[in-house]
Parts: sequence; structure tokens; C-alpha cells
Amino acid sequence: MLELALLVVACGLGTYLWRGIGLLISGRVRVDSEFFVWAGCVAYAMIAGLTMRIMLLPGGTLAQTATWQRLAACGIALVVYFVFRRNLFIGIAAGFVALIAVILLGR
Amino acid sequence: MVLAAGYLGFGALANGSAFPLWAALLSTLTIFALPGQLVMLEMSIAGAAPLVIVITVSLTAARFLPMTVALLPTLRSSGWRPWRIYAAVHLLAMTGWAASMRRVPELPREERLPWFVGFALTNWVACLVATAVGYLLAGSMPPLVKQGLVFVGPLYFVLILTGETRSRHGVAALACGAVVGPLIYTVAPEWSVLLGGLIGGTLAYAAVRRRRRA
Repeated sequence: MLELALLVVACGLGTYLWRGIGLLISGRVRVDSEFFVWAGCVAYAMIAGLTMRIMLLPGGTLAQTATWQRLAACGIALVVYFVFRRNLFIGIAAGFVALIAVILLGR
Repeated sequence: MVLAAGYLGFGALANGSAFPLWAALLSTLTIFALPGQLVMLEMSIAGAAPLVIVITVSLTAARFLPMTVALLPTLRSSGWRPWRIYAAVHLLAMTGWAASMRRVPELPREERLPWFVGFALTNWVACLVATAVGYLLAGSMPPLVKQGLVFVGPLYFVLILTGETRSRHGVAALACGAVVGPLIYTVAPEWSVLLGGLIGGTLAYAAVRRRRRA
């Protein structure tokens, strides 16, 4: 338990580091340099890779659902999201309902 | 409001992965960055080494540096003690930042920091509540509804990333990361987030650079 607490706090410190350094150097550095462009690419790729991995190869409760069910619900959510002019709330609600619906249909 | 939906999903995901509630709340309190929290949750369940987790989570937060650098000059005002600003930037996250970049320049200088803190603090508390609600809700629901709630965690990112990413670099990085991340996971699960990001991100960066030259 202590280890987990330390881990979470260490992650918090690692996250704060960027906010703190940003504050320190603000007004003195250009943020549109190539290095920051690359760092942005890495951050985006990390999140995209992780999200995709959870969709395709989830652990925990989601592992009990079939891949096609998750992908179908995700597809429906995406369509609804864009039809409703990128309304995140409606898109998420649609995905929630869609997953439950396809699971019920698959039984 | 929308961010709260993300934290609701995070809470549910934590429950679905048998991650303790107090640790989920602690992460919202200390990290307060949803992507980093998701990375931490997934990696610690996958059994990755603590050092690798901390490095990976920290890397996902690198976006805060340019964000802080961009926002701070408009927030600064001579009347505030430095520690207050250092405490305030902990509350900087995507939603508060985007709203502040729009609203803050319109306010008189001495009201800017209080406005930012008020807005971000409200967000912070709302996200803490949402984490707990998502967790407890997922725990008390039948399995079917629970699966739906847990699904909100990753779905939030799919929607927000595809809908809100505009830059050419961002789109390329999403595409490369989405392919490379799961592939590496099949070979080396505990390194997949870090390696997938580095390889996918560098590929995307190089691809955009080549196209710009051509």
C-alpha cells in the first residue's frame, strides 16, 4: 500500500516538474522549437497507442467483452459524436449505451 | 463538465481493474492529468517497474511545459508572492488552460490569477468527486452496466483525440501511435507505452518533416 502511494505521488511530482519548469523559464524561451514539436508527437503517440491497446487488448472487466463489440460501440460513438458537432457528452453516452446494446444482442 | 465525464470513466476503469479507490483519488489529487493517470493505472496493473511507470507518466505530461510557458506571461502580476503562482500551476490542466487562454487576457491584470485559481480549483474538486462517483457507481452496478462505464475511460480519449486534434503533427502522431503501441504491447507489454510513444512519435515527426521538405 505504501509502495502504491509512493508511486502515485512520484508520478505526481514527475507531472508537476513540467508545470514548474514551464513557470521558471516562461518569458525566456521559445516554445515553437523543433524539440517541443517532437515532444508533442511523442506524447500524442503514447496516448493514442495506449488507448488503442485498451480498445483491442483490454484487461479487467472489459476483457469479458468481444473485440467486435468494443469496436462496434466505439464506431457508433464516433459517428454520433461527429453528427452532433463533436459534442463529447452525447458521444460518450452513445458509446455507453451502444456497448451495452451490442452485448445484449450478442447473447 | 466534459472533463468530469473523463474522470467518471477513469474511476470506473480503476474499479474494473481492481485498483484501490484511495489510490485513484490520490492520483487525481497529485497528478491531475487524465492521460498520465490512465498510463499509471494501466502500467501498474500490467506490473511494470515503478521507475518505468514514473518516467512514462512524466513524459506524457511534457505538454504542460509549453502550455505553462504560453499562459504564464498573461497571468503574472507584480502583487503575487511566487509560492502562490507555483501552487497555482499545479492546477493547470488541459480544460483550465484552454479556457484561461481565451478568458484571461480580457480581464484586468490583478484579477487574472484569482480567476484562474477559482476556475481550476472548481475543476479539480469536480474531478475528485467524479473519480469517486465513477468508482463507486461501477462497483454497485450489474456487470453489464459496469462494462459500459469502464468503456467510457478509453472512449473518452478516442473521441477527444480524433475530434480535437488539428495540427498535422498531432494527426500523424495519433495514427503512428495507434498502430505502433498495440504492436509493441504484444512483444513487451510493460514497455509498450514508453516505446510506442517514442517510436510512433518520432516516426510521425520524421514523416511530417519529410513531407514539408518535399
